Amino acid sequence: MASTSGLRTTLSKMAASLTGLLKPWTPRVLLVRWSRYNPYYLEPEPRKEVYHIPETELTPEQKEERELKSVRPIKAATNSVTSSVFNDPVLSKFVNMMMKDGDKIIAKGIITQTLENMKRKQVEKYHKAPEGKKAEIECNPYAIFHQALENCKPVIGLASIQKGGKFYQVPIPLTDNRRRFLAMKWMITECRDNKHRRTLMYEKLSQELLAAFSKEGNVVKRKHELHKMAESNRAYAHYRWW
Amino acid sequence: MLYTCLLPACQSEQHLGQYYTVPPSHFHTVFPHGLPPRYQQQVKTFNEGCVMVRQPALELISHLKRADYSKPTLRYLLYGVKGSGKTMSLCHTVHYCSTQGWLVLHIPDAHLWVKNCKELLPSSYHASRFDQPIQASNWLRNFRTTNEHFLSKIKLRQRYVWTKRESTEEGRPLGELVDMGVSRVKSSSDVVGAVLKELRLQAGGTEGGFRLAVAVDGVNGLWGRTTLKKEDKSPVAPEELTLVHNLRKMINNDWCGGAVIATLSQTGSLYAPSSAYLPQELLGEEGFDSMDPFVPVPVSLYSEKEFESCYLYYLDRHWLQHPHSQTEEGKKELIFLSNRNPSVLERLCAFL
Repeated sequence: MASTSGLRTTLSKMAASLTGLLKPWTPRVLLVRWSRYNPYYLEPEPRKEVYHIPETELTPEQKEERELKSVRPIKAATNSVTSSVFNDPVLSKFVNMMMKDGDKIIAKGIITQTLENMKRKQVEKYHKAPEGKKAEIECNPYAIFHQALENCKPVIGLASIQKGGKFYQVPIPLTDNRRRFLAMKWMITECRDNKHRRTLMYEKLSQELLAAFSKEGNVVKRKHELHKMAESNRAYAHYRWW
Repeated sequence: MLYTCLLPACQSEQHLGQYYTVPPSHFHTVFPHGLPPRYQQQVKTFNEGCVMVRQPALELISHLKRADYSKPTLRYLLYGVKGSGKTMSLCHTVHYCSTQGWLVLHIPDAHLWVKNCKELLPSSYHASRFDQPIQASNWLRNFRTTNEHFLSKIKLRQRYVWTKRESTEEGRPLGELVDMGVSRVKSSSDVVGAVLKELRLQAGGTEGGFRLAVAVDGVNGLWGRTTLKKEDKSPVAPEELTLVHNLRKMINNDWCGGAVIATLSQTGSLYAPSSAYLPQELLGEEGFDSMDPFVPVPVSLYSEKEFESCYLYYLDRHWLQHPHSQTEEGKKELIFLSNRNPSVLERLCAFL
């Protein structure tokens, strides 16, 4: 997103010089799948708090922004942005990664069933546990999901770098986005491939997430194996030039 | 005041909106098959079964307390939009009836008898009718669990011949008939018919003296169409099924000494539009004429007080785990998303 908005600002500067073109226009052929808007259009604001600030407490920048928004057209919001308090960006990313053929309804349904299943198991354990053990049982499925994902994120990754005709697996640092992506990808592929024919996706996913929460299970095992490979290849670390 | 410990017999208007617990000993005897599946999951999760005291159930119970049981049976019909709590109100009333010592005939879903039947045998008793052995034997098994103590007390008043070599004599206890129906699956539908006939005859009697409650969920399934087909692919009408035929005789008000409590249900119904919930629409002409006259009991969505009570119950049982759902804003959003519909609220709170 950062690179495309940078591109848009340079484009808008180029376009500003050709002032005749900087009017609200829609192209003759409208692309439906990707949103390629004229840079004249502004981003929508889905958060509720922004609209609840009374007139008197606005800073000058905010007043200017509101005036700009009253004259400029605004892009349509995508389906995934909500003003709901229950909106979770990490969970939305996970839903998008699980989605096949653009069927978000099925993916969202699987995730909600997974959360419900996890909560049911934990609440049942909570109600049956003796008084002393109750505080240790985590019942919040969102907390379990985030913690499990944290436990699956690798710290260091491997890249295939060519040196002298051969390819070496070199340990490299990973960005936060890449780590999150790898954790989610491993979780989803693990649940799709290594399950019994009759278990449903939400059942297997809830089992894996609960196991990852307590640092057991196949996904954290895969993370540890990656770390071990990186540790064993530390001699090649100098092949990295960035 | 969220919980009350009174059983249904002692509850009154001041307990509206409060939850009462069904004692665990009653669960397996009174409700082997009546509860909605999501509620059964909730009972398993929370390790207890709590039912909210609501207006329709209290109204029904007060009618049952004051009715005259020497007159022909009154029929009560619970109707409302999808998910408004008709089955739960029915189960509340059934619990009241069983705590008062009535004999409860609970048919969990009449729609299950008119669709998805794997085995359809031609009836031995009547040439043009069809038997459903699996459904009948399942129901007899659950009936036996519900009414254990009545089975030895009620004696048959007529001799029933099943095959050339098997017959049940007059004066034998009802339990023997039910056991025979469970073990001999082929004649179980006829056994069901015999059981219903015996109970109808003996319900108002002065010497036996038990009261009979017939609780049918999804009663509109008895008068619609079925999805079952005969061997020559022609459709089967509901009258041609023994179970449905006998149940219709039970719902007629030509016997006395009990009550018929029925629920309409669009969820399992066949060939009915999803927006239909009124008795006229779901029962059809034939059904409405057979059920007429009945006492209609409307079941509405949660009122504000009931919604508060449900929200506090979920909080108390540690079911609402999302940090935002415990704030005022989250509560407003829940009201908006569910429109105070009980089943929609339950599904929303399940993953929050």
